[in-house]
Amino acid sequence: MNRNRFGRIWTAAALMLLALPTLFCTGDRAPSPRVALVAKAMDSEFWYSLREGAERAASEAGVRLSVLAPQREVYIHEQVNILEDQLVRGVDALIVAPAGVAQVVPVLDRAASAGVPVLIVDTDIDWPQKAAYVGTDNREGGRLAGRFIVDRLDGKGSVALIRGIPGVASQDHRVEGFLEVLEHAPAIDLAANQSANSERALAMNVMENILSANPHLDAVFVTSDEMALGVVEAIAAHGLQDRLIVVGFDAGREAVQAIQNHRIHAVVAQDPGLMGRLSVEAAVRLLNGETLEPFIDSGTELVTEGDVDDFIARREAGFRPASPSAPE
Amino acid sequence: MGPVIGLLALCVLLSATSPHFLRVDNLLNIFRQSSVNACLALGQLLVILTAGIDLSVGSLLALCGVLMALMLKAGVPVLPALIATILLGLIMGVVNGLLLTRLRLPHPFISTLGTMNVARGLAFIVTGGFSVSGLPDGARFLGAGMLGPIPVPVATVILVYVLFHVFLTRTTVGRDIYAVGGNKEAARLSGIPVDRRLTLVYTLSGAMAALGAIILTGRMNSGFPLAGQGAELDSIAAVIIGGASFFGGVGNVWGTLVGALIMGVLRNGLNLLDVSTFWQTVVIGLVIIAAVWMDVLRRKGHSPA
Repeated sequence: MNRNRFGRIWTAAALMLLALPTLFCTGDRAPSPRVALVAKAMDSEFWYSLREGAERAASEAGVRLSVLAPQREVYIHEQVNILEDQLVRGVDALIVAPAGVAQVVPVLDRAASAGVPVLIVDTDIDWPQKAAYVGTDNREGGRLAGRFIVDRLDGKGSVALIRGIPGVASQDHRVEGFLEVLEHAPAIDLAANQSANSERALAMNVMENILSANPHLDAVFVTSDEMALGVVEAIAAHGLQDRLIVVGFDAGREAVQAIQNHRIHAVVAQDPGLMGRLSVEAAVRLLNGETLEPFIDSGTELVTEGDVDDFIARREAGFRPASPSAPE
Repeated sequence: MGPVIGLLALCVLLSATSPHFLRVDNLLNIFRQSSVNACLALGQLLVILTAGIDLSVGSLLALCGVLMALMLKAGVPVLPALIATILLGLIMGVVNGLLLTRLRLPHPFISTLGTMNVARGLAFIVTGGFSVSGLPDGARFLGAGMLGPIPVPVATVILVYVLFHVFLTRTTVGRDIYAVGGNKEAARLSGIPVDRRLTLVYTLSGAMAALGAIILTGRMNSGFPLAGQGAELDSIAAVIIGGASFFGGVGNVWGTLVGALIMGVLRNGLNLLDVSTFWQTVVIGLVIIAAVWMDVLRRKGHSPA
């Protein structure tokens, strides 16, 4: 008799839980094309901007867009599961920011053999069937950061590098571009080269450790804003904010504000909003039968204390949707 | 029966809400996606039957996976590489067992917390943080191959579940494991070699982590040191949802399999419905709470206090 009771409890629990998702599920029957954008995570401003740009482009083009992501960037298997499930659900095109460069290839192969075109966004991968890569020229971004630091230090000093997950192309390319510039600056010493998984709290710890080991550090290049914002906390805790040059990557709102407050000295700007927009527009062009250029550049520039206000003004303007709403 | 009814109710509801849920390729996806967790959970079940816990399985999965990939890249033929991977899992499991029974660390939470960090760190050290990809086709068979209509990982999981079912219910050693979890002192007094049984369950858990690693590495076409983050908690959740008691002595392999499937079905179904991962996490948390609450009710039912 106990068993019966458990059965009922289970059923009731399952019913309640399943009522939940229906609140969030979108209509399923319209004829417009369906595109899924699968991000690496939805845990920072970068991904929110990318989603925003993609959603605006989708609503302008009349495309049904789902944006999905694993809980954390390191849950690579979860991203693979999401991709498999989207293929079953049936999509006309996939836009993927690969969390694992090698790990997503088998499922992308399945997409290709099912005839679903795949656009790669943000993090390029070496996969011949991709329709195009939409994103930042990350190597060039790394070079911009390197040149800025070399200039500010007059070609000599002690530098640290804090990077995201190794093996992820966007991160690897930023690092390569940066190290390329340092190679031509023999008096610059790379005192530390550490990974902090693109997580803020971890980056703070890593920077604290680097500062303990290298109290005379002059500059640090951090390959994402999310980590840079943790790094500046560690620097402030050591009272070194007036001496250490910090260069971030992404140029999200929080990091740009940190430039205005002189906590970060420069960031390599990516435009995730434009990246999201261009990727959806490329998907639409693809579905209309157009062939795409293999690399769709969403732009890279260095934002410094000198031009941060100008950058904000331009971005505000750029963020307005291209068509209807007129500036106030 | 509770977990089975829960699973069926979930399936009925998902078939009603998503037209894609019941399709064969989707069901195969669910089985494939659940197979690694099912492996880890089977090892975890043995440990939990003895009222223990194995936090190291996710990290062992990563370490075994990267070492398997490195061996294959170094030209070791597939079969010896797979055997070596399983052996490695067994050895790491023996270490877990000996830390508990020889060093007398006070609780397996502590010994396996230690090995969890050691194994994760080693996985990063041996790979330098990078993933190891581009494996020979033979190595991918266990993770991505098909036996007729059945994915090889699914067949593998069913096989080990049947073996463990026979082991737990038809052998003296298997029944000892329940006895140890039911009451350690009583088991010792009745002549069961408790320490050896404890070492055995951690050893088998290590081997199952290695099997999970083989499947995951094949499925992902690479070994990567970030693999299996949080997998230990998923495996514990599957065991608990599957009706095993966290206090030991109660539980069976089929409940655990259903527990792993419930988690797989939930995640798959919520993905099909475009529910964000944040909500998926909330739902799985609620399911765990509901399952443990039933464990509480069940204990009340058995021994009215």
